[in-house]
Amino acid sequence: MSVLKIETRINEFLIIEDPHQNNLLGEVVEAKTYNRYIPLNIYGDFVDNSVLESLRALGYNIDDDTIYIAKVRLLNEALYPIQTGSDVRIPEFMEVKDIMIKSSTEEGLTLGVIKNTDDLAKDMDDEFKDLLYTFEEGGLIPQNEIPYILDLKSMHHYPHIGVFGGSGSGKSFGLRVVLEELMVQNIPTIVLDPHFEMDFGEVASYMEEKSIDFTDKFKCLQVGTHVGVKFEDLSAQDLKNLLHAASNLTDSMNNVVDILFKPRDSYYSFYNRMQMLTEAQEEGSLDRIENRINNANDNDERKAWLDRRDLFISYDKTCPYNSVRGIIWRLKRLGNDGVFSKDIKEIEDGLQNGKLIVIQGSTRILQVFSTYLLSNLYHKRRDYKDALYKKTTAEYFPPFLIVTDEAHNFAPKGYDSPSKSILKEISQEGRKYGVFLILATQRPTLLDETITAQLNTKLIFRTVRASDIQTIQEETDLTAEECRRLPYLRTGDVFISSANMGRTIFARIRAALTTSPHTLNPFDELKSKSKEDDDKFLNIIMSKLPINDIELAQVALEIEKETNITYTVNNLEERLKQMVDKNHIKKEETIFGYRYKV
Amino acid sequence: MDALNNKLKEKVVDLNTILTEKYGSILKMNRQEIRSFINNYVGHIKKMEKLDKDQLSIYQSKGGIVGVDGSVNKIGGAYPHFVEIYQALAKSTTHRDDNIVLADLYTPLYTEQEETTLENEVRIIDDKRNMKLSTIEVDAAIESVKNHKPYAILMDGGLIRYNINAHDRWMELRNLCEQEGVILVGVIKDIKTSIIGDKIKEVDKSIKDTFYDRELLFGQLDYGEMITINEEANRKEPKGYASIFLRSSLAPTVIGMDIIDSQREYIEEMARLIFTLTPENSRGVPLWLDIVDKEVLISDDMIKSMMEEYMDRGLYERFFISERDKRN
Ligand SMILES: Nc1ncnc2c1ncn2[C@@H]1O[C@H](COP(=O)(O)OP(=O)(O)O)[C@@H](O)[C@H]1O
Ligand SMILES: [Mg+2]
Repeated sequence: MSVLKIETRINEFLIIEDPHQNNLLGEVVEAKTYNRYIPLNIYGDFVDNSVLESLRALGYNIDDDTIYIAKVRLLNEALYPIQTGSDVRIPEFMEVKDIMIKSSTEEGLTLGVIKNTDDLAKDMDDEFKDLLYTFEEGGLIPQNEIPYILDLKSMHHYPHIGVFGGSGSGKSFGLRVVLEELMVQNIPTIVLDPHFEMDFGEVASYMEEKSIDFTDKFKCLQVGTHVGVKFEDLSAQDLKNLLHAASNLTDSMNNVVDILFKPRDSYYSFYNRMQMLTEAQEEGSLDRIENRINNANDNDERKAWLDRRDLFISYDKTCPYNSVRGIIWRLKRLGNDGVFSKDIKEIEDGLQNGKLIVIQGSTRILQVFSTYLLSNLYHKRRDYKDALYKKTTAEYFPPFLIVTDEAHNFAPKGYDSPSKSILKEISQEGRKYGVFLILATQRPTLLDETITAQLNTKLIFRTVRASDIQTIQEETDLTAEECRRLPYLRTGDVFISSANMGRTIFARIRAALTTSPHTLNPFDELKSKSKEDDDKFLNIIMSKLPINDIELAQVALEIEKETNITYTVNNLEERLKQMVDKNHIKKEETIFGYRYKV
Repeated sequence: MDALNNKLKEKVVDLNTILTEKYGSILKMNRQEIRSFINNYVGHIKKMEKLDKDQLSIYQSKGGIVGVDGSVNKIGGAYPHFVEIYQALAKSTTHRDDNIVLADLYTPLYTEQEETTLENEVRIIDDKRNMKLSTIEVDAAIESVKNHKPYAILMDGGLIRYNINAHDRWMELRNLCEQEGVILVGVIKDIKTSIIGDKIKEVDKSIKDTFYDRELLFGQLDYGEMITINEEANRKEPKGYASIFLRSSLAPTVIGMDIIDSQREYIEEMARLIFTLTPENSRGVPLWLDIVDKEVLISDDMIKSMMEEYMDRGLYERFFISERDKRN
């Protein structure tokens, strides 16, 4: 506890000049103001201001009697009790440089400023000045405090970062700043972006020309449109993970995949095998299948039933009908999402080139896709490192970071999910291979606790929910006092608790250079999205018009071949009817049935 | 227990009867009557204005205002094993870092003269305290006149007691103030005079009791009103002072102020200064004197730790640690 004549603010640094031991450096953890002449309530009321004004006119400013009481936590424990009456002063920059700045600007991520260090920053080295702006109510503010530079290299010892904070507390904005810094350093990074907000193509409106062009540094890829899973490359385990992510698998279903899935299967070969098996199973018995073979109308039909019979004989016992149907249903669901329509080549290339790859998709699709993607990439990197170790050869694959918002959806506490097992593995072993996580969530309580425990650096933004504050108190070294402040933090202010720093730093995230393209009104967005879809669909079918209703199956097949987009007959008919409703095409009745035409 | 309570109840009822009898006639007088009596026989009731900033700035440029107050701490146990510590502080509004602090102490264990008869004990201690405390207060004021050259000095408490308790030093202070043109006033929170009561007895010969100004004036003045006591009414008080009563806060109590009579012309101005410096929600003391009071006050613990540090442990314990202290 120190009584001071200088005003102190919380998290400010002070040096206590104890005459009997070396200067002691401490951080203010509690600050109070007290004026003994203005006892706030002694006679039931405040001293009226006019009296204070009068004293001022007489030459006495009572504010000068204000004393500041600060509770100071020493950075290193003192060997002896501190001498009472020791002087206290604000340190010089050089005296705190080592504890404030752990990395050069070239090697670290300049995320913001350390709050309440403006006094220290005055005699700071030039290399740390004018690095950034903060964005406040009044607009852009030039940097006048010590920069907070996250030491990237230290991730090798203290891997993985957590970003916690309630909705609107500045998490996404903070992640954006982190990602901008990673791009500046050309760090290969995968971002899972369920909000479609991590686009860096747009300069923030407040930045004017003070920005950096990131266009060549990142790529936004949508699952199903730009990237997907190449079915032919899947292992049975990959496939099971994917299907499981679509919807939970029973043991029996897992078994079905193990039995029916053959290496190098295509989506169609696997699908057909299951389809034929179920058709055979629907017949009910070998006798009835034989019957079908014998009564076939033509050779093709005979051949088809012969195939079905073989499948039935091989698999009916081990693959129960319902389980096979379950796999079919899940497979179709993934297929309809476009998961199997592309591959991850573009992602791999991007990482090889030190780019930031943003994977966009709904949370559900990302859960599915990331499971496959992350284990794939992680194992490529691992294989490479292991090969180095064993002195064999493997293709180079770079170290990389994985960044995701809403991390509790990918690694939920309390139940298993495929994406969780790969994230867990990386959280525990990734350090060895140079694969690191940055996980953001507004619900730290819902994030898998094993993973949370592996997050060595935590950025904690405003948090209001009591259960989350509790989790934070348990999982970080924030003091009770700091936890008490959590609900009142300003948007963009953050406690950074890091094993590397050995203490908590109170910082403000800098102004991002870019902005999320999320400016579209969601209803405008719906409209323009459906217009886009319609155009796409019309493009596909225009050349095929007129289409008779008996040809629908044929047309669906053609479309699938040409565009990789799968329509069922019902789907296709539904879409054609919509186009008629919107007056894009016409529908007429003929003696053979309906016909759609231009 | 009940018997005890009943005895006490009887006593309280008795007290009420006695006070009702004594004050019956006075309490019956309405506010109007008392005020007109005061106006006719004691002094004019007058409404004051607060001083404006310009006026105060002039005071500031002429050296500011000094407040003087003293404090007493008693450490130890029963007679004669205790020590009284006296401190005086003169604090200027314009010389923030130049407080004048003087100190003295008294213990019956060591006296200049031999006075050990126990029956005089209380009186002697009181005398000593009054003398020593008044002396250092006056000395602090003298030093302040020399160092701060203030426009005015506000002493905490009436001036008259200095006449008795520190006569020589007081005369020096008076003369110095007159020479230097420093206005010297005393501010009296607890007025003990009976100027109005004496006048009532004089006018109404049937009244035998003495009534004190404090009781008579309670609630009779409006906020910001003062009574300049005319010389005739004041004549029973020691010569050489002029006095007024004023209500300086919203509390119904009235405080007093006196000034050396050679400076009588400033009496109203000084009353207005006190009015200006008094928070409306206070007991009526100007904030500046409250500030000086708080600053001169030291805690017993502080004094004890000082004695522990600067006295031989054996001596300190032998003489000044009471049984009660030991128990704590
Ligand atoms: N460091 C910051 N400086 C200035 N404004 C910020 C900062 N962080 C967030 N904001 C503002 O607050 C808004 C909400 O922040 P956001 O990051 O989207 O919250 P979250 O992702 O935690 O829900 C942002 O749109 C931005 O306008
Ligand atoms: Mg967000």
